[in-house]
Amino acid sequence: MARITAGVATSHVPLLGVAVDQGKTGDAYFKPIFDGYEWTKSWEAAQKPDVIVLVYNDHASAFDMKIIPTFAIGCGERYKPADEGWGPRPVPDVIGHPDLAWHIAQSLILDDFDMTIINEMDVDHGLTVPLSMMFGQPAAWPVKIIPLAVNVVTYPVPSGNRCWLLGEAIRRAVQSFPDDLNVQVWGTGGMSHQLQGPRAGLINAEWDNRFLDGMIGESDALRRIPHIEYLRETGSEGIEMVMWLIMRGALGRKTRCLHRHYHVPCSNTAIGHLVLEPAE
Amino acid sequence: MNAPPAGEHSDIHEYLEEFEDIPGTRVYTAARARKGYHLNQFAMSLMKPENRRRWKENERAYLDEWPMTEEQKQAVLARDYNRLLDLGGNIYFLAKVFSTDGLSFLQAVSTMTGMSVEQYQAMMNAGGRSPEGVRSIKEKR
Repeated sequence: MARITAGVATSHVPLLGVAVDQGKTGDAYFKPIFDGYEWTKSWEAAQKPDVIVLVYNDHASAFDMKIIPTFAIGCGERYKPADEGWGPRPVPDVIGHPDLAWHIAQSLILDDFDMTIINEMDVDHGLTVPLSMMFGQPAAWPVKIIPLAVNVVTYPVPSGNRCWLLGEAIRRAVQSFPDDLNVQVWGTGGMSHQLQGPRAGLINAEWDNRFLDGMIGESDALRRIPHIEYLRETGSEGIEMVMWLIMRGALGRKTRCLHRHYHVPCSNTAIGHLVLEPAE
Repeated sequence: MNAPPAGEHSDIHEYLEEFEDIPGTRVYTAARARKGYHLNQFAMSLMKPENRRRWKENERAYLDEWPMTEEQKQAVLARDYNRLLDLGGNIYFLAKVFSTDGLSFLQAVSTMTGMSVEQYQAMMNAGGRSPEGVRSIKEKR
């Protein structure tokens, strides 16, 4: 039987991809950021997950304004890194797991989540930067990926509670898949950042750290944070943190923290990173 | 974090009205998305190398191929990103324009704040902009 063994949360700033691709991870500006991922790199190498359900948002790469799916799941065999305007990142293709992905998609639809199914798309920095942070620069990614794209750009975006419930449904779906698979769920994006308007550059380290605290243990208070609080307290793009709640919901009632990292700044953004496991 | 559950929002008008109370911020609502549809789709077209080439050759001619307002076209030509947000632009779409110009997110974002790139970078390195005083216009907090 497939099982969810861990959850990983991380910011997915495009500049981190640039740092990896251009060999700058040891530079003074980037070193404190990447040092916080060293523990996770060794841990992932030992864990050897079979599949990652990778929750992220597309940044006007695969989806433009023509179609705006709230929750979309990738059921395809392979995804290419997107050209985001300066050529695709020099990273391996992302290999899917269509059997598990279709199983999850079907289960979620029966469970009242009206998913959009994606068979072909390119994946942008939202998905490939977290892979680079956790696996470095391999010739091929050592794990199959099921992309789960969330609309966090055009409002209304899904509520934190809806994201949490989706995570719970993903957990049930994975647990009913017959093959013996080690599955992780990753929630990406955040933490505080605002990329637009005169208020750009907003960072709220105190709020971010309370959010990190809330991901750990048995409290479910985070699912009740309204959108307006993310926007006021963490900047307009801080709303991406609702995606972390899909991962949190997928870990069950209680979590244990294996690793935690927080750093300001990376470009316009606060970097947050957690490794959690289900505690029961 | 003692606010009511997000799911308790049943009134879309109240939900949207709160967004207008955040200083210096344009939340990308459906109203903005409608207003900026062709502006954002124009920006999206710059994802393709062939379109970037044609854009760089003659910006005005390229813009005239799109059913955008004259105001939107002028704001694009002026790279006035705050104005573009008001006219329905979204930052992830507008990013295609400033990336084509060779600007990073940090460089482009700083132009919306009234600071120089250096001042903005220094603010970020010092921990970013504090939320103190810029959470709510009405409540002045």
